[in-house]
Amino acid sequence: MTPMGFLKFQPPFKEDGSVVPKRALIMHPKDNVATTVEEIQAGDQVRVVGGGEVRTLAAIEAVPFGFKIALEEIPQGAIIIKYGETIGKAGRPIVKGALVHIHNLEGTRARGDLEGREKR
Amino acid sequence: MSFLGYRRPGGSVGTRNYVLVIPQGLIAKSISDFVTGIRTIQTVDHGSGRTTNDRERIARVLIGLGRNPNVASVIVHAASPGVGYPELKAERLADEIAASGKRVEVIDPAKDGGVYGAISRGIQLARMMVYEASKLRRVEAGDEHLCLGVKCGYSDTTSGIAGNPAVGYLFDKVVGAGGTAFFGETTEIIGAEHALAKRAANPQVAEAILDAVAHREALAKSTGLDIRTINPIPANIKGGISSLEEKSLGAIHKAGTSPIQGVLQYAERPQGQGLYFVDNWMGSYSIFAGYAAAGSNLVMFQLGGGGLAGRDLMEGSPAIIAPFLWCTANPNTYRMAKDNIDFYSGTVIMDGEDPQEAGERLYRTVIDIASGTLSRSETLLYTEPVDLCLEEPRF
Repeated sequence: MTPMGFLKFQPPFKEDGSVVPKRALIMHPKDNVATTVEEIQAGDQVRVVGGGEVRTLAAIEAVPFGFKIALEEIPQGAIIIKYGETIGKAGRPIVKGALVHIHNLEGTRARGDLEGREKR
Repeated sequence: MSFLGYRRPGGSVGTRNYVLVIPQGLIAKSISDFVTGIRTIQTVDHGSGRTTNDRERIARVLIGLGRNPNVASVIVHAASPGVGYPELKAERLADEIAASGKRVEVIDPAKDGGVYGAISRGIQLARMMVYEASKLRRVEAGDEHLCLGVKCGYSDTTSGIAGNPAVGYLFDKVVGAGGTAFFGETTEIIGAEHALAKRAANPQVAEAILDAVAHREALAKSTGLDIRTINPIPANIKGGISSLEEKSLGAIHKAGTSPIQGVLQYAERPQGQGLYFVDNWMGSYSIFAGYAAAGSNLVMFQLGGGGLAGRDLMEGSPAIIAPFLWCTANPNTYRMAKDNIDFYSGTVIMDGEDPQEAGERLYRTVIDIASGTLSRSETLLYTEPVDLCLEEPRF
């Protein structure tokens, strides 16, 4: 990944300079989650920008500012990708438009609890 | 580009002009209470029962702070005359600081008429040292004399999107001009170490980065705990960060894109200039003193703050002698704590500001503060105590 690759995308704003409502940002084309930069409610249409394309999806639940929304269905155990890199795996099946956070994303690194389980 | 700084013997350039009194204790406190322009370190660890390595780390902090170009001259007091550990003897500290060419005086209760006498002589010395330092004028100095240190903290998802990239831009610019920059926090590169190793200046440095992470991760696993009960910290999770990997991948943006010249230990001075990774711990009470001891003449805290409800006043800097900047990209944090924030880059997320322009604004802010404008944190009399980053068990 290129850390400054972020600088290549242009934040979205309308012709008149006003901010497009309900936005989420993708950090890398490979990402399967986007970071919300608005408070999003269930049913809101979310405009996802970055990674060279713009797409719209419906949020199936509330996603607070700065949290992550699933861009596609992510099966249990599948890798969750942000910045084009692994940030964990799905601890349970995640549907498109769902909030992705500690309840359904499992970190995979430095997990002393898992280490213990494997030894036993 | 350039800033206005204080030229020291040996050619280094300070952004401030302090007289330092070390180590901590009644003598140092008394002198700093009486005399203007004095800095001292507030920490409780005198090295008792510490291993040789950790005592050497303490010595490295004290010597490094003394050698830092933000310090004009130094008073070292003998904390345990005749009975202290050799690493921390006043003469040793004084000699290594004096090797930088600046004036160093030793005061010693055993020779100066007890503690009362040492305080009295210290105040006299300190007044004249401050007076002499005040005669020095700032002169124009190139950016190669900047030595920056950064920590990101209370990170949230704005840190990785806009806050850290602005710092990364600044680091690239300063390193590109021949300056020096430090980033660290080994736990917070777990999950991103492969990306950093690719940027190592040579294979030895790549190996050192991977080794530092392997060591830290093995320690984390040895606790038997889910790392998420420790790090990401609750404020990170409340700010939208879901795993240590996500935190790390956002955190490394603050290091820009320059080649990594080496892996340094806590408070270790680099051999050359450029970007360095410091194998340290994230704690803000220790990390900034470590950067200053390694030579930083300006440090910054890139704040997320999404999980910091009600925080409208930030504590003063634990950097002791290096001006300390608060930066954030979180619009809510900025709204709440405007008085405290030296630099805001949430404009990238909220208003469509070009990220490079945000980086340029940060650079100009840094040049201003390096040249004498106070950082917000410097307007407070309060500074946080320092908790030295020591690694080994105590006995």
